[in-house]
Amino acid sequence: MLSVTLTKRFPGFTLDVSWEADDRIVALFGPSGAGKSLTLGCLAGLVRPDTGRIVVNGRTFDDVAGGVHLPPQARRLGYVFQGYALFPHLTVAENVAFGLRDRPRAERRRRAGEVLERLGLGEVADRHPRELSGGQQQRVALGRALAPDPELLLLDEPLSALDAPLRRQLREELGRLIREWGKTVVLVTHDLAEAYQLGERLVVYDAGRVVQAAPKAELLLRPASEAVARLIGMRNIVRGTVVKASPDRIELTWRGHTVEAVNSPGHPYLAPAGTPVAFFVRPEYVRLIRKDRTAPDPVHRMNFLTGTIVGEIDQGTAWTLLFRLDGPGEPSQGAYDLEIEIPKLVYEILDVGRDRHWSVSMHRGALQVLPSR
Amino acid sequence: MDLFPLRLSLQVAVTATALTLVVGLPIAWLLARRRFPGRDLVAALVVFPLVLPPTVLGYYLLVVIGSRGLGALGVELAFTWRAAVLAAALGSIALLIKAAQAGFETVDPRLEQAARTLGRSEWSIFWVVTLPLAWRSVLAGTVLAFCRALGEFGITLMVAGSIPGKTQTLPLAIYDHVQANQMAEANLLALLSIGLVVLLLLGVSRLARLRF
Repeated sequence: MLSVTLTKRFPGFTLDVSWEADDRIVALFGPSGAGKSLTLGCLAGLVRPDTGRIVVNGRTFDDVAGGVHLPPQARRLGYVFQGYALFPHLTVAENVAFGLRDRPRAERRRRAGEVLERLGLGEVADRHPRELSGGQQQRVALGRALAPDPELLLLDEPLSALDAPLRRQLREELGRLIREWGKTVVLVTHDLAEAYQLGERLVVYDAGRVVQAAPKAELLLRPASEAVARLIGMRNIVRGTVVKASPDRIELTWRGHTVEAVNSPGHPYLAPAGTPVAFFVRPEYVRLIRKDRTAPDPVHRMNFLTGTIVGEIDQGTAWTLLFRLDGPGEPSQGAYDLEIEIPKLVYEILDVGRDRHWSVSMHRGALQVLPSR
Repeated sequence: MDLFPLRLSLQVAVTATALTLVVGLPIAWLLARRRFPGRDLVAALVVFPLVLPPTVLGYYLLVVIGSRGLGALGVELAFTWRAAVLAAALGSIALLIKAAQAGFETVDPRLEQAARTLGRSEWSIFWVVTLPLAWRSVLAGTVLAFCRALGEFGITLMVAGSIPGKTQTLPLAIYDHVQANQMAEANLLALLSIGLVVLLLLGVSRLARLRF
C-alpha cells in the first residue's frame, strides 16, 4: 500500500501529485520532464518535498506537516538508478555487497553470492562495471538494490539504456524477477509498452501532475481525458458535438455526420445536446466495406461513412491509410480525418493501392468519448 | 656543510601537509557538495593565500599567534618551528583545496545517493565512495601543497624568523647564504631544493600515473 501526496517547487517547474496504490507494482508513466523521477527521489528520501505525506506499507516516510523526514538510510529500499550508477571502482561482487555492511562477514559473502548466482552474474563477480555489457550492468544494479532485501524497490527507467532487442528480452526477465520477488515496486518509464508489461497500476504524469491513475487494463480501455489519450499514444483524437447521451450510448455529430459511440461503462458521460466533446477512433477497428458485396450485414452499416484515401504509410506488416471524408469543411487532422490501419494481406486482396475511394464502417465500440475535466 | 635547514624544511613541510589535509579536505568537500550560507565567501577566502602578498599574510598570522594574540594566552608559537608549520600550511592549503574540490566535483553525485539508499552514513560514503573516486586529484593537490610548503619563504620569515639551527628553513638559508656572499653554499642548497621537488613530482606521477 502506497500513498503519495507531495509538492515540490523549483524555478519553472512545480511537482504537485497525489496518488495511492494497493497494487504491488506501480508504473509511473509520462513524458520526460513530467516529474516521475523527482517523485522517485522523494520516495527514496533523496529529495525533501515542500509539503505532503509519503506512507509506504504503513510506515510514514515523510510528513512535512508533522516534521517527519526519514533519511534514505532508514527507509529500507532498493533504488535502481537511471544509467545504474554502479560504483566504478568496485567489483561486481563488491557492488552487490555494498548494502550489506551491517551484517557479519560470512553472512555478507553468502548473501552476495546468492544474489550473484540468482542473477547469473557468478562468472563476472570479480570484474569491474566498465567491463560488463549493458544487460549485465542492469542486473548488477538490480542485484545491488535487492541484496539487502528491501521492502520497496524503486526502478528509474531500468531499461532505457539498452538497445531495442535486448530491451525486449530484459523486460520479460525483469518482469518475472520483480513478480517473483513479491514486494512493492515503483517503476518510472516513458515507454508505454514497458509500463504495461511491468506495471499493475499505471500513474500517468504530465507536467508535474497526475492526469490519471488506474489499473492498466482500465487505462487503455478508458483514458480519462484527451490529455491522457494523447500521452498513451491514442491516434485519431478528434472533436464532435453531443446529440444525445444515454448511459450506454452516446450519439455525436462529426464533420456533418452522425456517429454513435459506447458510453463509458461505470462512468457514463451524460452531457446535454450541443456540448463539444473529444473522442477517439481505434485505427485498427475501422473497416473498409468490400465493393463486391451487394448487401453488407447490418453491423457493418454502423457509423457508415464515405471518403478518399489521401495518403498511406508503410508500417511493415500493416498499412496506415490516411482517410478524408467526403463533404465540405476542414478535415479533422490536417489533411485527413481518420487513420485506418489494415493488414497488408487485406490491402492486397482489396487492391487498395489502385482504388482510392471507399466506404468505411466503425462499430460503436471502436469510438470512445474523452470528456474534458 | 650544515644540513639542518634541509631536515627542518622536510619536517615542516610534512607536518604542514598533514595539517593541510585535515583542515583542507573537509573544506574542499563542503565546497564541492554542500550549498550553505556564506559559501561564496569561503570560496573566496580559500584563494586569498594565493593572491595576497606573503608579507601581508605573515603579518596577520603574526598578529594572531604573537604576544598579543595566542602568545598572551600562554601558547608560545611565534618564532618556533611550529610557526613555520603554520606559515607553510597557510601558503599551500589553497592548492590542496582547489585540487580536491575539483576532484570531488567530478564524482557523480548519484553514486553517493546510491550509497545513501544502501544504508551508508555520510562519513562512510566519503571514505568508501567519494575519496576513492577522487584520490588522483587529492594526491595531485597534496603533492603540489607539499612542494609549495617546502618552498615557503615570506610568511615563514614574518612569523618564524630565520634563526639558524632553530627556524631557518631551506629557502631562508639560501637567502642568508646569498646575503653573506657564500655562493657555493647557496648553490648547493638551491640544487638540493630542485632535486627534491623534481624527484617527488616524478616519483608520484610515475606511481599514480598523474600529470601535473
